[in-house]
Amino acid sequence: MIDLKFDTVSKRYRIFKESETEGSRNALGRLSRRLRGNWSDFWALRDVSFEVSRGEALGLIGQNGAGKSTILKLLYNITTPTKGRIRVNGRLAALIEVASGFHPDLTGRENVYLNGSLLGMKRNEIRSKLDSIVDFAGVSAFIDTAVKRYSSGMYLRLGFSIAAHLDPDILLLDEVLAVGDAEFQSRCLERINQLRRAGTTIVFVSHNLGAIENLCDRVFLLRHGEIYRSGAPRYVISEYEHMLTSMPAATAKGLIDVHDAPASEIVSVIFYNSEGRRTTMFATGDAARVEVELMVHEPVEDALVEVYFYSIFGNIHSHFSTEIDGPTLDLQKGRCIIEFDCPQLPFEVAAFNIESSIKLRGSSFNEHVDYKRTGSINITRGKPVHGAFHTPHTWTVRSVAPPDSDHSTPAIVRNVD
Amino acid sequence: MAKSAINNELPVSRGNARPNYEIRPPSIFGFNLLANLSKLLQYKDLVWTLSLHRIKVRYKQSVLGILWAFLQPISMMLVFTFIFSLIARMPSEGIPYAIFAFTALLPWNYFSTSVANATSSLVKDAQFVTKVYFPREILPITYIVAALFDFAVASILLAGLLIYYQIALTVNVLYVVPILLVLTCFALAISLIFSATQVRFRDIGMAVPLLLQLWLFATPVIYPLSAVPARWRSFYVLNPMVGIIESFRDVVLKGEPPNMRYLMFSAVVSVVLLFVSYLYFKRVEATMADFV
Repeated sequence: MIDLKFDTVSKRYRIFKESETEGSRNALGRLSRRLRGNWSDFWALRDVSFEVSRGEALGLIGQNGAGKSTILKLLYNITTPTKGRIRVNGRLAALIEVASGFHPDLTGRENVYLNGSLLGMKRNEIRSKLDSIVDFAGVSAFIDTAVKRYSSGMYLRLGFSIAAHLDPDILLLDEVLAVGDAEFQSRCLERINQLRRAGTTIVFVSHNLGAIENLCDRVFLLRHGEIYRSGAPRYVISEYEHMLTSMPAATAKGLIDVHDAPASEIVSVIFYNSEGRRTTMFATGDAARVEVELMVHEPVEDALVEVYFYSIFGNIHSHFSTEIDGPTLDLQKGRCIIEFDCPQLPFEVAAFNIESSIKLRGSSFNEHVDYKRTGSINITRGKPVHGAFHTPHTWTVRSVAPPDSDHSTPAIVRNVD
Repeated sequence: MAKSAINNELPVSRGNARPNYEIRPPSIFGFNLLANLSKLLQYKDLVWTLSLHRIKVRYKQSVLGILWAFLQPISMMLVFTFIFSLIARMPSEGIPYAIFAFTALLPWNYFSTSVANATSSLVKDAQFVTKVYFPREILPITYIVAALFDFAVASILLAGLLIYYQIALTVNVLYVVPILLVLTCFALAISLIFSATQVRFRDIGMAVPLLLQLWLFATPVIYPLSAVPARWRSFYVLNPMVGIIESFRDVVLKGEPPNMRYLMFSAVVSVVLLFVSYLYFKRVEATMADFV
């Protein structure tokens, strides 16, 4: 039984070039640009065909702009294809952005009705599920309070809880795991798994490769609006990792001005696991060895090499620099590899973008010899983290001799980890 | 918070009916009126919830609350009465000017509030349009329902004025129902055209208040139709609002049946325009989320 079918679907976005003098909402300006043909076409999807069977969980991965969200938007009928046909068999619901339909001035209860009916629920359906929705979100005490007084956590939980009660035949999920705390995320995952066991067809878009691997039966890797690879999650994810690490490192935009030929360049930043295998998947507490490969064109004295871990929202999560505890680097002409060893990765389950830089000691925060986005890594569930991070540690038990004993007891020492 | 107490196992329950449909590139020839209307009917609960929401949000956190629905037509009535009966002496066919103007202001305000709010509805609720699927015409429709609510509230005041001026209703007042139906069709048609166009051309939002002001003076609200010179009248009645407003005042204040020629003209224009505007709206809807 086929629930979803894409038949040579293409989607074009027409991007009108905006000049300094013409505002984008200026009808005359737009009309004249249209007549002059002053636009460029962006094909978000090109002749994409696939089928999803009933009860199957399909994962979509790929870099930003590869076409993942466009597929979801087309399925959800938010926008229409430029060419091709899409067949949908079943009641479809989407979790594209939790709580996007909330009105701050209305109470929790009123918002449940508003949001629920926006998502296509009937009023009596909402009425019968109201208690369950409120319980699941854990906001019973505040249900008649305006949601603008809610904490952001309550807001998210209520939003997800409404969506979790939709009971659709087909569920579309876009980066739902990108928000909220670990507790919230694990509840989301649990509910998604539950729907899956109940036979719901799922299309899941995420940058969290660990979640994709756990949840999906089949994965598509999208690239430039086409299905670049498809198949078993493990295989497609490793293809994606390979694609990310073998890509020429892109210069991070807007952060620095790099002159045309930097004195030395970052060639790649590659992660190896404890077995020495190149990978981008780690579990919390795993050992990682990072090799930063440099190409030195002109000798650089007293250089610093840094590795940044950015969250997918672009805030810095962690920053390692040779300035703090590394050797003095006098870079000589030629290739050079700087190794950075981490005996136990401390991060929680998440995806990180890796950026790396070479700079001169004493230069300011955003003055770099070279600075690049060099790929991303995914942390999956490993050593359990209750709190913000894991840290290498040992436990020691020392028995203290009772005061009346005249011979000392040998200390019992036990190492955990 | 006692999170452990929350039951994580939700029941999974769903209906047996699985809809089966196809999504295709937009095309005028693919327009299926019945399919669109049945889809809209499926979402009638959303229309209701969202309309209630409009009304609640409007009156929540305002001290006077629902009184605003009275205040707007009353203040307009007072201003017009002051200007046109005390200063300028506007003819009012023997009816006290205050109730003469107020009776026409009721349907006029229903129309102008609907159009003014509905025009920006798609842009204002862009976060719905880009994140959730539902028939987009629901957004302008809910503003019309909310304006109808204001109309109903202000009607209570009209009833008070009728008693005060001792104007007796006749059986002809029942014509109010078809007149309102025509007015709603017309307001909806204009709202669909304006709101869909507003998505790509924000000029509409600027032009609408001005347009509504001019339109008010081109409609027999503050003066009677009989005050319009006879040689211009055949041109003047091309404005569908003329037949609607004049008929409304005739059946309520004079207790006479409406001028059927004018009312039928307004009805035919409204229905045809509604069909055309819906076709246009649905065509724009297909790629609305890409522009809003």
